Amino acid sequence: MNKAGEMEEGDVILKLEDIHMAFGKVQALNGVDLEVKKGEIHSIIGPNGAGKTVMMNCINGLYRPQKGNIYFKGENINRVSPHKRAELGIGRTFQKLELYGGMTVLDNIRMGSHIHLKSGILSGSIYVGKTKKEEIEEREFIEEEIIDLLEIEGIRDQVAHMLPYGLQKRVELGRALALRPEVILLDEPMAGLNLEEVEDMARFILDINEEERWKVTCVLVEHDMGVVMDISHRVLVLDFGNTITDGLPQEVGNNPQVVKAYLGEEDLYITRR
Amino acid sequence: MTRGWLPCGDYHQEYAKDHGWWQTNVIKGKMILLLLIVSVGFPLSLGEYWLGVANMIGYTALGALGVQLLIGYAGLITLGHAAFIAVGAYTSTLLILRFPWPQFIISWGLGYPISIIIAAIVAGLWSVLFGLPSARVKGFYLILTTMAAQFITVDFILTQYISRIGGRGQAFSLPPGTIKIGPWLIDSDLKVYFLMITLLTLTVMFMCNLLRTRVGRAWVAIRDNDIAAETLGINIVWYKLLNFFVAGFIGGIAGAFWVANLAALSPEHFPWSWSLWLVGVILIGGAGIDGAIFGSIFMVMVMEILQIIAIPLSEYWPIVFVNFAYIKDMAFGLAICAFLIYEPRGLSYRWWQVKNYFNLWPFSY
Repeated sequence: MNKAGEMEEGDVILKLEDIHMAFGKVQALNGVDLEVKKGEIHSIIGPNGAGKTVMMNCINGLYRPQKGNIYFKGENINRVSPHKRAELGIGRTFQKLELYGGMTVLDNIRMGSHIHLKSGILSGSIYVGKTKKEEIEEREFIEEEIIDLLEIEGIRDQVAHMLPYGLQKRVELGRALALRPEVILLDEPMAGLNLEEVEDMARFILDINEEERWKVTCVLVEHDMGVVMDISHRVLVLDFGNTITDGLPQEVGNNPQVVKAYLGEEDLYITRR
Repeated sequence: MTRGWLPCGDYHQEYAKDHGWWQTNVIKGKMILLLLIVSVGFPLSLGEYWLGVANMIGYTALGALGVQLLIGYAGLITLGHAAFIAVGAYTSTLLILRFPWPQFIISWGLGYPISIIIAAIVAGLWSVLFGLPSARVKGFYLILTTMAAQFITVDFILTQYISRIGGRGQAFSLPPGTIKIGPWLIDSDLKVYFLMITLLTLTVMFMCNLLRTRVGRAWVAIRDNDIAAETLGINIVWYKLLNFFVAGFIGGIAGAFWVANLAALSPEHFPWSWSLWLVGVILIGGAGIDGAIFGSIFMVMVMEILQIIAIPLSEYWPIVFVNFAYIKDMAFGLAICAFLIYEPRGLSYRWWQVKNYFNLWPFSY
């Protein structure tokens, strides 16, 4: 950390310590550790049911782990409620789309910047001065930084649930970005997309991770090995709630245990396409 | 929020314009014309009777706007909104009749306007009290807790205790001359009409503004997907309670208006069926603020037309007039069934379709 107390690249921004999470007799997470450094793309992979999404939900606060500690920027956030965690700077996208179906794309993205606006019922109902100014500034930000980045200019006024799946995934990323998070949890952003959309999505993830404007630390859950191995800095492999390994992509790819757990005896790089 | 498309060839160059209520000058002109018609044209052209009907429409619309806010915008299904209207009405009445106002407030005619605001706040807080269970329960279970609000408030507290105040039986009546706004004594349907138009316009304005800012979006977010809303930093419980407060606030305004309209008050004016009726109004009206208003116009007008038909019929079948209350209920039920089957999206959707047809004409594809 620097003098001002801000995180610098390479500092541990998110730390999970010995997380245990069980649903009845199913041990979803069994003592998992994770250290995400600022500026990284840290992937979590594993076969179905490995506990990847549960881990996301634990970081996010939707689940409370039975044992273990979660630290964000050095502070224990075990007892912090989900909406407070969002205010701290943890954004999130979902595996199954959780967009606001009835709202337009623009309103969906505007929703994400909720915590950055200030109007209440009184100032909101009058809508002059400050409220109007902040709404318009927010709109400018969204248009210039997010809609432009994600290339969704043409659909900004369309209702979200009418859009094709690939675009909905993009809108969801935009909504999470409007929160201006420091860490973004991406839960299978490429699931169900075609090759072109996967390439676009990978590009967006690299953009938000590397561009000076964003510099968002990403925690990525993904099944597409090609993408994971290409873009991540570190990879954590889970299998039925247990950590198999945590390391650089090359190490992980060559780890025989990973290959066995994840793909049976086959080559790791043979993916679904 | 869905909105109509702009007419062919119109586009904005500033974000502020895109955020505006009235997107083009044509729309602005039309809305100002509408405002002129309702505030000048109707009072000049309509007789006392139809002004009374218009007041009933306004009262229904004020009530339905609160219900729309709860059910339509935040997804909190309520079947007890009449309770909050009743709380507003009783607060206002008691303030007018019993509160020792300083002389200058009475002589300046501020008693009633102040009582409207206090009634609205009290109704809002009362509504929050019964909204507290919404932190834990959703959907059908919430219906039950709001029904509890209805029965506890109206059938128990108001009937058993509040309406006994003064010892004159069940009903309060406001003597002529007590309801005064500034220099104007509210004593005719015309003046009540102007009061109604003012209150309704202000409420609609505030609601429109609220719904295009952060609070309104948070409500819609909770309705559409509460888990995602939570991960975006929305305090769900707080915003649900805020929604109950604003809905109750609008209900309180409706109640205080009812006092001016009728100059009498009894718990029988706020039965459970009135709560149900308001939900029916927004079912028929459809989504949005305009839905609540279209629904109110439709329901009240249907009842009026039924009455007009029933009066000549009753010469031949007196039973029609005797049982008119049941016929009304039947028509209400039929209307809801018909709308759910043939136009589940309500009148406002039809209106939206008509508008867009003309906006996009001649390039409707």
